[in-house]
Amino acid sequence: MIEGGTPVASMDEGVDTMDLNPHAQVCLQHLLRAWLGFERDLSTVPLLRRIDLGTYTVEDHLCLLRNLRQQVIEGSRWITRAASSFDRHHAEIRSTIISHAVDEHRDYELLEQDYVASGGRIEDVQGMERNIGSEALHGYLMHRSSRPNPIDLLGAMWIIEGLGEKMARSWAERIQELTGLSEDSTRFMTYHGHNDSEHMLRFYQMLDEVCINDDAVASIVKTAKVVARLYRLQLEEVQHGFK
Amino acid sequence: MSVYITSTGAFLPGPPIAIEEVEGVLGAVNGKPSSLRVQIQKANKIQTRHYAIDSNQQTTHSNTEMASNAASQCLDRAFVAKEGVGMLAVATTQGDHPAPGMASMVQAELGLADLEILTTHGICSSSMMALKAAWNSLRLDEHEAALVVSSELASRLLKKQRYEAATHSTFAEKRIDFNTEFLRWMLSDGAGALLLQNKPAPKGMSLRIDWMRGFSHAHAFPTCMSVGSAGRVEDTRTWQDYDSYAEAEIDGALLLRQDVRLLDNILRMGVDGYLRLVEEGVSKPLEVDHFLCHYSSHHFRDKILDLLDAAGVGIPEERWWTNLYTRGNTGAASLFIMLDEFLRTDEIEVKEGEKILCFVPESGRFNTTYMQLTVVKG
Repeated sequence: MIEGGTPVASMDEGVDTMDLNPHAQVCLQHLLRAWLGFERDLSTVPLLRRIDLGTYTVEDHLCLLRNLRQQVIEGSRWITRAASSFDRHHAEIRSTIISHAVDEHRDYELLEQDYVASGGRIEDVQGMERNIGSEALHGYLMHRSSRPNPIDLLGAMWIIEGLGEKMARSWAERIQELTGLSEDSTRFMTYHGHNDSEHMLRFYQMLDEVCINDDAVASIVKTAKVVARLYRLQLEEVQHGFK
Repeated sequence: MSVYITSTGAFLPGPPIAIEEVEGVLGAVNGKPSSLRVQIQKANKIQTRHYAIDSNQQTTHSNTEMASNAASQCLDRAFVAKEGVGMLAVATTQGDHPAPGMASMVQAELGLADLEILTTHGICSSSMMALKAAWNSLRLDEHEAALVVSSELASRLLKKQRYEAATHSTFAEKRIDFNTEFLRWMLSDGAGALLLQNKPAPKGMSLRIDWMRGFSHAHAFPTCMSVGSAGRVEDTRTWQDYDSYAEAEIDGALLLRQDVRLLDNILRMGVDGYLRLVEEGVSKPLEVDHFLCHYSSHHFRDKILDLLDAAGVGIPEERWWTNLYTRGNTGAASLFIMLDEFLRTDEIEVKEGEKILCFVPESGRFNTTYMQLTVVKG
């Protein structure tokens, strides 16, 4: 188990740093490793490796969007389910999660517009069923969010929000460059880069509030690891068609 | 058994070359000044560097000579005769000869008789590979002293003639080829040497090696820094697959390239390795008094450092020390040149018992290496 350190002066006095309690600090160390491992392993997913290698095509982009849509729709469902599973002792985190769900519950419409702007047919993206990985990811998240006070879902948010930020930071522009598609084809990706530091601060506040013992650390980190693995499975399974 | 760095040496060829003099030494490709030089130099903040070539791009010191000069200085400062050295480990990105290994050449130049040799092949982290092998040899009680040398002569790869000859390369095709030019304004020449012994030096400071670890991520990422292929995804040939070396050169397969887009990953994997060592209880952030990093802190100005701070394991900037800005980025030689100056500089007072964390990342295909030293007095 990681030992908690004491907060040190930030190298860059940004708004997105704050003093966390020692359990939250340890949790953040583990979450960082879960994220970095996830991010590294994404580089091995064939579709995403083509972004790195510069061989990503319009067809790849359509395939990615088709496969992401279900996860985006289901995403708003597990978040709202999670919000309803928190009791009155967790009112603060419940409010945060509800407002987060309001922000993002219609993101899939943005994604559908991107799909059409990329040359795809609306009925193809709307008719796509969940792929093998999306089934597993959605099933797991609905299961966890149905449990009372599911604080471990902070681990899920960490991975999924992190990926949103990564899409905005390193995929969107590169995809435009490689495919010749316009900004209209990557708006779902760039949208998630907005208000990033505000999201981080909100996340730190939630973590500091609920991550106050070893059990909380363990459950948050485990859920982050499971979600990371299932999210990668979803991206590995994009090549499989069902219809 | 504990092993100590008991002496160090360094060699930097020629005079310090200022920012605006760099292109005069490496040469303007086809007589035209680079349009990327100022931008890249501004970003890396290196003020002076050294080259083992002159302004006519003629080699002034071979890589073997530089390595031997650093090694000689290290041995001159040592409390042990050179006959007492049982092992010579030499690291470089590119020796003077493709074969034999550079350790053979350095051994001959130094006149060291009957000792075990090792040449490590890689880029920046090859120095740590050589050091770790030598450290382990002493830990196994096979030798009482080992000399570890790391030397780089990058400028021979970066001189104008290399680019002018690559008439069919991506560099020639595109007006601006950032990936091919990036390292031209980053890397320079130099050598460093460390003497390892199974006991501290009788006088002055020695550095005990507490641990060394490395994590390579080549399985996950594409190649990021390389020489030997033309830099086109669809072309899998490497330089020796061409009918002649001349064709390989024309096609740009002998140019040094950095896939700048992938570079972020080395920082991220560096942080991951550090957190792994913290998790395993190997590295204790609060005990680190000095942090010597092959990269400079401003390169790491990234959100991920804020995250390390928030997680309570950041290393405050005042504990970072580097001489990269004045000695240049000498690849594999950097850490040894850094350690040599660190022990002698008046900028900071190094005290007995202090712990020094060293980090050498290699972007080639993402290898991250770490070492902790403790200052001891003889």
